[in-house]
Amino acid sequence: MTASEATTSAAPEPRAPLVVLEAVTKRFPGIVANDSVDLNLEAGEIHALIGENGAGKSTLMRVLYGMYPLDGGRILVKDREVRVSSPRVAISLGIGMVHQHFVLVDRFTVTENIILGAEGGPVLDASAAEHRIAELAESYGFAVDPHRRVEDLSVGQQQRVEILKALYRGVDLLILDEPTAVLTPSEARELFDNLRRLRDDGKTIVFISHKLDEVLEVAERITVLRRGRVVGATRPQETSKNKLAEMMVGRPVLFQLDKPKVQVGEPVLEVQDLRLGTHLNGVTLEVKAGEILGIAGVEGNGQRELAESLIGLRTPDSGRFSIAGADVTGRSVGQLRKLGVGFIPEDRHHRGLVLDMTLWENSCLGRQSQTEFSGRWGILAIRKIKDLATRLIKTFDIRARGITVPAATLSGGNQQKLILARELEDEPILLIAHQPTRGLDVGAIESVWGQLLVQKGQGRAVLLISAELDEIYELSDRIVTMYEGRISGEYPPDTPPEEIGVGMTGGRAGAAADAAAGATVKER
Amino acid sequence: MATAASGAPKRARSPRLEFVGGQILAFVGAALFAGFVGGVIIVLYGENPLFVYATVLNYATARPEDIAQVAENATPLIFSGLAVAVAFKAGMFNIGVEGQYIVGMLTAAIAALYLDWLPGALLVPAVVVASVLGAVMWAAIPAVLKVKTGAHEVVTTIMMNGIAISLVAWAILNPLKSTGDQSVDLRTNLFPGKALMPSIAEPLGLPSSVHLTLLFPVALLACLFVWFFLYRTRLGYEVRAVGSSSGSAEAGGVSIGAAQIKVFLISGALAGFVGLNHLIGDKGYLGNNYEVGLGFAGIAVAFLGRNHPAGIALSALLIGVLIRGEDGIALSTELPTEVLIILQGVLILSVVVAYELVRRAVARRQLKEEAAVEAAAPATEH
Repeated sequence: MTASEATTSAAPEPRAPLVVLEAVTKRFPGIVANDSVDLNLEAGEIHALIGENGAGKSTLMRVLYGMYPLDGGRILVKDREVRVSSPRVAISLGIGMVHQHFVLVDRFTVTENIILGAEGGPVLDASAAEHRIAELAESYGFAVDPHRRVEDLSVGQQQRVEILKALYRGVDLLILDEPTAVLTPSEARELFDNLRRLRDDGKTIVFISHKLDEVLEVAERITVLRRGRVVGATRPQETSKNKLAEMMVGRPVLFQLDKPKVQVGEPVLEVQDLRLGTHLNGVTLEVKAGEILGIAGVEGNGQRELAESLIGLRTPDSGRFSIAGADVTGRSVGQLRKLGVGFIPEDRHHRGLVLDMTLWENSCLGRQSQTEFSGRWGILAIRKIKDLATRLIKTFDIRARGITVPAATLSGGNQQKLILARELEDEPILLIAHQPTRGLDVGAIESVWGQLLVQKGQGRAVLLISAELDEIYELSDRIVTMYEGRISGEYPPDTPPEEIGVGMTGGRAGAAADAAAGATVKER
Repeated sequence: MATAASGAPKRARSPRLEFVGGQILAFVGAALFAGFVGGVIIVLYGENPLFVYATVLNYATARPEDIAQVAENATPLIFSGLAVAVAFKAGMFNIGVEGQYIVGMLTAAIAALYLDWLPGALLVPAVVVASVLGAVMWAAIPAVLKVKTGAHEVVTTIMMNGIAISLVAWAILNPLKSTGDQSVDLRTNLFPGKALMPSIAEPLGLPSSVHLTLLFPVALLACLFVWFFLYRTRLGYEVRAVGSSSGSAEAGGVSIGAAQIKVFLISGALAGFVGLNHLIGDKGYLGNNYEVGLGFAGIAVAFLGRNHPAGIALSALLIGVLIRGEDGIALSTELPTEVLIILQGVLILSVVVAYELVRRAVARRQLKEEAAVEAAAPATEH
């Protein structure tokens, strides 16, 4: 089926449309996620779907993959109108999807994961399946051992398993939702090579992203969504990063922020050989007043454990850290906050806000013990807390119907602004910002970045932990990389990304990282 | 979208009012539905549902004595409902209110029997304190086990309930067994009269046969206290944060274990009041026929009342009406009184569904209005 439709990759002549979306509309309570979207996917192309967070990219693809029912419009596969009522139906139509968060069974082997749900009968024929998987893997250059357990694989390898899962089911159209979000630069490059190979074999690939550089690199056609509508379709050779950004946001976007020059002062945070289980294997670093230290690294290399140790949510096994010269190892969250540590968590729903509680109640979380807000006898000063909330809303431009609405009703950007406002209002001497712009749209990202630079400008120390290299580059005065619970390198902010990518994979040549996931890593 | 946005500032109802309105609407809707289902059952029994409901209402509200009886029925339920709700607010399920009040009755009985040298004005408070201490002690064990070892409170409190029942059985059979008379009932000696809870029937101008004691106003005060605790104190704030999002609370400097232990002890203290109405408001001794199930009834009451003190008072009174109505049904109709228990069950189930429906509707509305507010506000970046 696939082979008959494969075209040679050489000629960009008009190709047969494989999947056509016509006026697809999808509504959620309160918003129209997709508003009469037309999209035309040709056989054998890499098609990028870009837009800000919340523009409706993922929703559109989930509709196509049968995860959400259609509210309007129609879907045609090979000129035939279809009703995609479930992912199972989508797969039978030759449509596969790899989600941003993988859905693999950790304790199963690669083979077991791939055939799960497509066993082909009550009796497993494992060797036949293995044979086919090895064949598939070889023909597309996916280096994965079918016998390995998924829990032993790197994130990049797990992604390949997800892709193989779809290919095993014989899909012609492969949807990848933000596939590079979890990859290092070199892993991303490998993925692109694999995608090109798949394309050359006649597969169609939809690539959802908000990273413009990679879209320009890998896609043949680009469709831009904004607020649920298609606002443009173009080709890489006809556009530029700035033009795409403008289409996405609806106004010109500045990519270069002005980093204020600040006199760097005394060290505020000093971390000495911090160790915690298998997560932290001796982290040593220092952040001075008036500087932003950026920690780059692929997620899951100990960043969360580091951030949570520094705010007191975890107790390190050994090592010390001090704030403004005083050893504070083992202090509680409350004590560290009192010393002037602010914390922007990576997960605002589970570490930042109490979603059921009102905006005003959330505005003093972390400061509820201060006499200003709960007096000497532990009785809440409601008036003062509400004044605080009103002040935060005004100064940080948080858009809400009032301070008595539950925090859950705010948009992601406004929730993040609320956390930022709360943490900054108390003028912390050290701010730990862990993925501070995760899931935010460009406008909100600009605002958060601006606030972090203001902090630095006021002579405070900022520890920025992020898996987004862009963000690290935009803000940091110094960059360190983190790999397997260690600081694997330190770089000035003008280092090219490839070099930092090396640090993100442990300080060796990046490409070799996957091949020897179990190998020991050189100490810094 | 545009009209909603332009109208938003004017029309903006308080989200709080909307919330309370929704809750009341849900409850009324659920009550009507439960009444309908109950009606069908009553019709199947060959009775007239309207007559049955009128009888229930008549028995519960016709005379001041009847209303007093309803209040009396509601008193222990208010306490047990509050005890369950307070723990629930911290994300814990206190199934052990049952065992806690039973142990409370035992320690109260000990105080009433052995502190009889105290003057009356001190003996009653001493008995109350003893009951509260007993219940708090019984609650402390699962609380500490949970925080220190992670043992789930549902499992441990159920076991503590079993131990409590056996403990009381042992106590009234052995050390506290009544002396002197030839009573066949297994029970303690009668408490001295000055250990009994003063009745408020006569001050209110009711016949002295009515069993309404000072505990009813105390129960209402307890509602106020719990409300103040949950919504006006720092500990209550922290407890609610732990209950809704323990991770965020922790990152906000709340010690989860400490908050959970404290709130579980408060829950136990409230449980200590549950058995008092029976013990020193009514019987005046602790026998093997003591009232059981009040702790479990508290779970239903807390549920009906949405874990809010005001809701708990109202739902306890509603159950009080139904209990009172059982007498009426037994006297005036051929129905088994279990019909009212079925009615309670249907009511609880429909309330669950109705609250959820209303919650979703309100959340949808709020999301929509938030979206409108965001769209309307001009971009003023910093």
